[in-house]
Amino acid sequence: MSVRVFTNEVLEEMRGIVREPSALFFSVLMPVAFFLLFSSIFGDEPRAGVSAGTYMLATYGVFGVLSVTLMTPGIGVAGDCDRGWLAVKRATAVPLPIVLAAKVTAALPYALGVLVAMTVAAAGFGTLDASAGQLLRLGGVLVLGGLPFALLSLAVGFRASGNASAAILNAILLPSAVASGLWMPLEILPAAIGEVATFLPTYHLAQLSLAQVGEGTGLGHAVVLAGAAVGMAVLAAVSYRHART
Amino acid sequence: MLGLPNTDAVLVAQGVHHRYGDTVALNGVDLVVGAGECVTLLGPNGAGKTTLVGLTIGLLAGQGGRVRVAGGDPRRAATRRNLGVVQQASGLPSTLKAGELVAGAAVRAGAPRSAAGPVLDELGLDDLAGRRAARLSGGQRQRVALAMALVADPALLVLDEPTVGLDAAARAQFWEILARRRERGTAVLLTTHVVEETRRVADRVVVLHGGRVLADERPDALAARIADRTVTARTTLDAPRLEGLPGAVAVRVGAGRAHITTRTPEALLRVLLAQDPHLSELTVEGAGLEEAAASLTAAAVAA
Repeated sequence: MSVRVFTNEVLEEMRGIVREPSALFFSVLMPVAFFLLFSSIFGDEPRAGVSAGTYMLATYGVFGVLSVTLMTPGIGVAGDCDRGWLAVKRATAVPLPIVLAAKVTAALPYALGVLVAMTVAAAGFGTLDASAGQLLRLGGVLVLGGLPFALLSLAVGFRASGNASAAILNAILLPSAVASGLWMPLEILPAAIGEVATFLPTYHLAQLSLAQVGEGTGLGHAVVLAGAAVGMAVLAAVSYRHART
Repeated sequence: MLGLPNTDAVLVAQGVHHRYGDTVALNGVDLVVGAGECVTLLGPNGAGKTTLVGLTIGLLAGQGGRVRVAGGDPRRAATRRNLGVVQQASGLPSTLKAGELVAGAAVRAGAPRSAAGPVLDELGLDDLAGRRAARLSGGQRQRVALAMALVADPALLVLDEPTVGLDAAARAQFWEILARRRERGTAVLLTTHVVEETRRVADRVVVLHGGRVLADERPDALAARIADRTVTARTTLDAPRLEGLPGAVAVRVGAGRAHITTRTPEALLRVLLAQDPHLSELTVEGAGLEEAAASLTAAAVAA
């Protein structure tokens, strides 16, 4: 029963995204456009022992996954709260975690789409230098690493309206991207930003992603991200207890 | 008050207490709804109706007392398979089609997607199955919400203002469908502002006030509790003058008509006819359920 119900929930969510894609359009388009822009500017400069395209695939990949997993579930659940649809779901026989997991899962294909588009672009620029195994590992890390941000997204969506959620999540997304070195390497930014970065999960996801295409295991970063996931899960649970439904 | 518990009971609430901070929402409520029964909840805003519904459909966690649906705790997801619910603010996602919404509701309740077809047909929605919710009228969306509640043939239907947005024909059709479901044993818990409509369909009316049950009895028995009569007429007199008529207890003016509640209709009519020679469409009826419930509530406030 659970698999059937979960599949139904995911398909409903995906239909919603496909039929009203305006919000996701920017979540997908912006990271890919940024990747193309910055690749054309910095594409000739190898960094941290890997080619520019490979390096940027890891960092912009984080930005791409973040823009989908941080924005889509929260804005979706806030809209459901606004119109009373979440209350309808809560009065059904489907446990709420399945409803929420479906919301996050439905966004993942679009996150993968961003990664594929960037990979193809980097290969097209001739700046990609990574094996298939490395790319698969990178994809896996980025998709799994999106979990804490999806949970943070839900935490915001439970409490804020749809419009407010979009504003709050954008206010988290854009500074996190800059301060974690996702757009430009931290070395060329003011030192203070580099110090702030180590406190941001986005920075640790970027470092873990770079480890998949470069050197090192990134184990410490994985531990930080696991801790962040636990923290965000607690935050989402507390937020749900005070949800607007 | 009914005896507890009833072996055929689909919904049993015993000694239910609930509060929001310092505000008492429910204060020792008992309620039983048996298989095939239709029970209407009446009461002013803040009486506790929404809280009782919230506890019944599992949206609220119980604080005191016990609520059981088909023998199970409605906070457990498995128990809610026995529920069909129409909530007041059940805004359907604009991107999904009517047929998808009803089929999705079937799957969530453990029924096959194919269960949607007969219900869409029953509610006259088969031609609209492929239309997105955004392109449905208010009445059509309400029928979709009803179809979603009915699709898995639940043991208990909880309907919060289910006929909002429906025209007269659709409302009549809705009550017919409900009657058929009740013949098959479906229990119904209903809240509505169209109080008189429930007189024909409800087995019992439960009047709530201040979190307590003031009355739990058959609609006619409840209406017979008070001696009030309602004088209805098309008149040129304004509300203050109507309120000054001898024996006028309450006055309601709407849609060009005045509704005056009184216990002395003869005396009131003599003066009314003298003051308004153009008076027309005059009727005098026994008190309705709404007046009876209001009278009970007023008595509770006075006490």
